[in-house]
Amino acid sequence: MSALAQVQDAMLARILDEDLPLLPGWTPRHAAGLAVYRNNYRSALVEALRSTFERTARLVGEDSFERAAAHHVITHPPTSWTLDLAGEGFDATCAQLFAQDPEVAELAWLEWAMHRAFVARDAARLDGAGFAAATASYGDADWAGLRLRFVPGIALRTLRHDVKRLWSDRDAHLLEEVACCIVWREGERPVFQQVPLPEGEALSAMERGASFAEACELLSGLLGEDEAPAAAGAMLARWLAEGLVETLAQ
Amino acid sequence: MTSIAPFHGFGLGLRRTHYADFLEGDVPVDFVEVISENYMVEGGKPLRILEQVRAKHPVILHGVSLSIGSAHGMDHDYLAKLKALIDRIEPLWASDHLCWTHNSAHNSHDLLPLPLTREALEVVCENIDRAQTALGRVMLFENPSSYLTFPEDEMAEWEFLSEMARRTGCYLLLDVNNVHVSAQNHGFSAQDYIAGLPLDRVRQIHLAGHTPGEIVIDTHDREVCGEVWALYAETVARTGPVATMIERDDKIPPLAELLGELDHARALAAQRIAA
Repeated sequence: MSALAQVQDAMLARILDEDLPLLPGWTPRHAAGLAVYRNNYRSALVEALRSTFERTARLVGEDSFERAAAHHVITHPPTSWTLDLAGEGFDATCAQLFAQDPEVAELAWLEWAMHRAFVARDAARLDGAGFAAATASYGDADWAGLRLRFVPGIALRTLRHDVKRLWSDRDAHLLEEVACCIVWREGERPVFQQVPLPEGEALSAMERGASFAEACELLSGLLGEDEAPAAAGAMLARWLAEGLVETLAQ
Repeated sequence: MTSIAPFHGFGLGLRRTHYADFLEGDVPVDFVEVISENYMVEGGKPLRILEQVRAKHPVILHGVSLSIGSAHGMDHDYLAKLKALIDRIEPLWASDHLCWTHNSAHNSHDLLPLPLTREALEVVCENIDRAQTALGRVMLFENPSSYLTFPEDEMAEWEFLSEMARRTGCYLLLDVNNVHVSAQNHGFSAQDYIAGLPLDRVRQIHLAGHTPGEIVIDTHDREVCGEVWALYAETVARTGPVATMIERDDKIPPLAELLGELDHARALAAQRIAA
C-alpha cells in the first residue's frame, strides 16, 4: 500500500472513530484540526438523516432522533459518494433502537421509500387503454404468462399501523389487520397507499417476477377461489389506473 | 479535450430556498452554479428544475465527490453519472476540489486535505487525467480550506496547484475565502498564495463567509467579510475579468441579500480592473 493510501486510511479511520490514537508525529494542533473534520463528517450525515426522516424525528422527538442518527452514522459509515443514500437501513436501526414502538421503524421505512421514489428513473405509465390494446390479441396461454414491469422506485412492505395517520398526524393507530403499504411516484410527487395484505402479497410476488396467473393462485389461497378472480381483476385495474405499471414484461 | 474560454460574469449558487425565484422570476445573474451531486440522480423533480433553470441561465456544475486526491482511485459509477449530467445540461464547465473524500471502504462526505507531497501530486494528476479523459473535457479544481497540514508536506499548496495545472491542463477555481481561511489556520500569507498561482489558469472565483475562531472554519453561513473582499479586490486586479460567485450553504438569506453582495463584487471588480 502506498504511503498516501496509508495516511488516508489512517485519517479516515480517526474521523470515524475518535478513540483511535493520533498518528505518529501529530500534535494537539493536528488533533484540533481532525476534530473539525470529524464534526463536519458527523453533522453532514446527521443533517442528511434529519432532512430525509423529518417525520420520524418529530415522532420520536429531537433528542431521541439525534441519538438514533448518531448511532446509525457510527454503525453504518457511508460507502457511497452520494449523501442521498446516507439513510439506507435507517428503518432497521429504528427497529432495533425503538423495539417497543414498531411504528417508528414503519414511518422511517415510509420516509425512506418516498425519498428514493422522488429521484427514481422517469418512466412512462401503462394505463387501462394501453393495457387493453397491448393484450387485445392475447389467448389463454398469453394471459397465463402475463407479467408486468412496475414503475421505478416502487416499494412495498407490511405494516401494523395506519400509515396515513402516521404520516399526517404522527398518530400510532394500530390496524385491526396487518396491511401493506405501496410507495411509488405520480409525476414528480411520491405517493403511498395502504392496501389489504392479499393485494400487497400479490403485488410483491409480481414485482419479483411472478406471472399474473401465479398471483391469482396466491390470491385464491388467501381469499378463497370464489372471491379471488374478481379481486384479481379489480386489483389489476387499480394498478393500471393509479400508474403503478410501466409496461408488460417480456 | 477542449480549453475553457474565460467567462466574465457574476453568479450565485442555486439553493432549494431560491428555486421559486429562479423559476418564476428574472434573476439578474450571468450564471448559476449548482452542486453536481444534487442532480446526479435517475430522474424526478430535481432534474426538471435544473433543466428549467438551464433554459434561462448558463450553468456551472460544481462537484464535491470526485475525490481526485484519493490514493484508492476514481469511482467509475460517479464519473459515468457526472458525464450523463454534463451531456444533459451542457454546463459552462464542471469543477471539483483539490481534496479526497473516500478510501477503498468509506466516504467522508467532507473535503479532506492532502499531504502536499510529490507522491500525492502524482496521484492527483493521474486522477485528473482519468477524469478529464472520461468526461471528454478539461475541468476546474478549487483550492480547499483546510484545518490541518501534514508533517510530510514537501511544498506549499500554491506550488502544488501550479504544478497540477501545468501537468494536467486543468484550470483553477480560486476560492478567495478558502485562501484566507487556510492562511489564518496555517500562518502563511494570503497574498503570497495568490501571487504564487498561475493566474492565467483561473477561470472562476468563489467568495463566501467563514466562522472566526482559534481554527477558522469555512462555514458558508454568513456574508463575505472585509478581509476577503480586500483579497478579492487585489486578486481581480491581477486576473482581470473573471467569473465570480457568492456561495451560501447555511443560514441562507433572501435572494435580494445575496444579489446585494454580488453587486458589491461587480463594483469592486469594475473599480479594480479599471484602475
